[in-house]
Amino acid sequence: MEVLLGIQGKDFVLVASDALAITSIVAMKRNHNKTRKLNDNVLLMFSGEGGDSVQFCEFIQRNVQLNGIRRGYPLSTKAAANFTRVELAESLRSRHPYQVNLLIAGCDPDTGVPELYWMDYLASLKKLPFAVQGYGQYFCNSTMDRYYRPDMNLEEAKALMKKCINELKVRFIINFSDFVFQVVDKDGIKEIKLE
Amino acid sequence: MINLDFLNPAENNNVLEQEEANEYMENLSVPTFEIPLVHNPVEFLKHQTHAAEQCRLSIVHGTTTLAFKFKHGVIVCVDSRATSGTYIASQTVKKVIEINPYLLGTMAGGAADCSYWERELGRRCRLYELRNKERISVAAASKLLCNMVYAYKGMGLSMGTMVCGWDKKGPGLYYVDNDGTRLEGDLFSVGSGSTFAYGILDSGFKYDMTPEEAYDLGRRAIYHATFRDSASGGIVSCYHVKQDGWTLISRTNVKELHYKYQDEPKAPLV
Amino acid sequence: MARRYDSRTTIFSPAGRLHQVEYAMEAISHAGTALGILTKEGIVLAAEKKVTSKLLESMSSNEKIYPLNENIACAVAGITSDANILVDYARRVALSYRKTYLENIPVEVFVQRICDVKQDYTQHGGLRPFGVSFIYAGYDEKFGFQLYHSDPSGNYSGWKANCIGANSPNAHSILKQEYKEDMTLKEAKSLAIKVLSKTMDSTTLGGEKLEFATLTKKNNQIKLNSYSSKEIDALLEEEKDVINNNEEN
Repeated sequence: MEVLLGIQGKDFVLVASDALAITSIVAMKRNHNKTRKLNDNVLLMFSGEGGDSVQFCEFIQRNVQLNGIRRGYPLSTKAAANFTRVELAESLRSRHPYQVNLLIAGCDPDTGVPELYWMDYLASLKKLPFAVQGYGQYFCNSTMDRYYRPDMNLEEAKALMKKCINELKVRFIINFSDFVFQVVDKDGIKEIKLE
Repeated sequence: MINLDFLNPAENNNVLEQEEANEYMENLSVPTFEIPLVHNPVEFLKHQTHAAEQCRLSIVHGTTTLAFKFKHGVIVCVDSRATSGTYIASQTVKKVIEINPYLLGTMAGGAADCSYWERELGRRCRLYELRNKERISVAAASKLLCNMVYAYKGMGLSMGTMVCGWDKKGPGLYYVDNDGTRLEGDLFSVGSGSTFAYGILDSGFKYDMTPEEAYDLGRRAIYHATFRDSASGGIVSCYHVKQDGWTLISRTNVKELHYKYQDEPKAPLV
Repeated sequence: MARRYDSRTTIFSPAGRLHQVEYAMEAISHAGTALGILTKEGIVLAAEKKVTSKLLESMSSNEKIYPLNENIACAVAGITSDANILVDYARRVALSYRKTYLENIPVEVFVQRICDVKQDYTQHGGLRPFGVSFIYAGYDEKFGFQLYHSDPSGNYSGWKANCIGANSPNAHSILKQEYKEDMTLKEAKSLAIKVLSKTMDSTTLGGEKLEFATLTKKNNQIKLNSYSSKEIDALLEEEKDVINNNEEN
């Protein structure tokens, strides 16, 4: 029932993750952050089986950071995404695969080129201009198809994100009172408000 | 128990080294349990754990526990009933586990699982203290617990716990369960009666409460849960975690609370 | 006395030395010279082939310069069979990195991985260390063209120009004198030939005695250009003046 969204603009990626932590029918928490910073310019967002998702993402986070220290400069978004894919694919063939769906948003600090990757628990990785993870796909993909342009600026991306969130609030049975919004650009990752 | 083989002195050495290595690992890493040597241990034990089985191992379920942070620290309240199906196995279970003078853990789910893992957590917290010459943070302690149970995910552990304490950052409250979920928060309730307790807590909670108001809120929430949830009942225990550690505030029979609250007028709505 | 500390690679002598490792380095100083020169435009690798015979099949593969990955090549001095093992390992390392990250391995990470293996053989289990030194020419996005050297102990270091093998102290001093920060690739090539012509034992240079390669970048593609013996002859013809000058001196 979790929702992750990402929109790649002309020099940034705008992402949103719902802030709800659920166990069975109870909302345990309404300000839960479902993201991990892989390095200054790459953000990993996760949804899936409790425990698995955090364990897997923190494992990836530490390894990406270790790699950065070893080579003396941070991993690119593409390299980090592919490394994550390889690790999940290997886990998929083990006795207890990690059940986790991901979005990876990054921006090259030198060139300013933004990238967004979508990956499901079967370790299928795809680079996309906009992406949704979870039931949100059924509600938001058409809206994104209709309004998305690759050269959007941040204001336009925010407006599109608002349309998607609104649709979820109107039509989806789960009441996500809050989302965490973050922008990844060449200066780093920062949390923002949509208003 | 060192198995000494006098015929092969070289191997003796090895046994000793192995023992030493095992001991070292035991102290530092996730404890390892002997697991039945079958392809799928969970499947193997199903005829003793599955609900439909006649002679299954009775695992104690059904509980209401709660904890919340407020101005003066953390309040922890729990009931004391243990049930096995429709049978009330005990009315005097201690569901708050006193990990050390600064940390409390609550017990929901399997009683044995909770008390074993939280005892293990207590041992590790003490080791941490000896090694680092300072107390472990609540965040770190809850992460230890989370990592330990995560190693046994899917093997039938049943545990829903709140780790409560006070560290350098102030009051700490984390929810940890057998899925490996770990959440930081201001207010949690766990167990079959948790939804009833949430109802009382969410409508009555104020951050600026006095400690007495907070104790009353916690006790009431547990009382109302025991009223509606047949698997909760017995005695309400109330703890208060402050900067200098936890104190037991009260243990009250829910029967007493029932008659006490019955005589009081209902709280005003407007 | 020294004998007692000779037989094992892993034991220090009382003077704090690892004899086997030092012997390995000694072996390299008799091997054919190999050199590398770094410029902004690319890297020149050149090496002297020791085994030359008219009967030798000249079509057979190189013995001194090896491509290791899209972005890395190396020149070898030492025991060729030892080098083959490491070259094979190095290629696997580079490919497995590419498989995991979908991009080329950074040069220093790569060099370090090979040196880890070399180091391992100076510490564990009474094995013989690899009798090979390498000069690596590599390129990565972050640091551009890079030149590294590694020895049998597993030490490595970055260079602007370096030389290994027979007569390397001589070659080193020429490189030191003549290397310029803003060299073009062409200038680097003629410097390489000058160094080899001065340090090689044979009187005449020829395509059959040399290996030569350049690592350059064109249209965002890294290209290793390994010269055939005919191309080397042509290059030597071009650089005639440099060689003749040497002989006059």
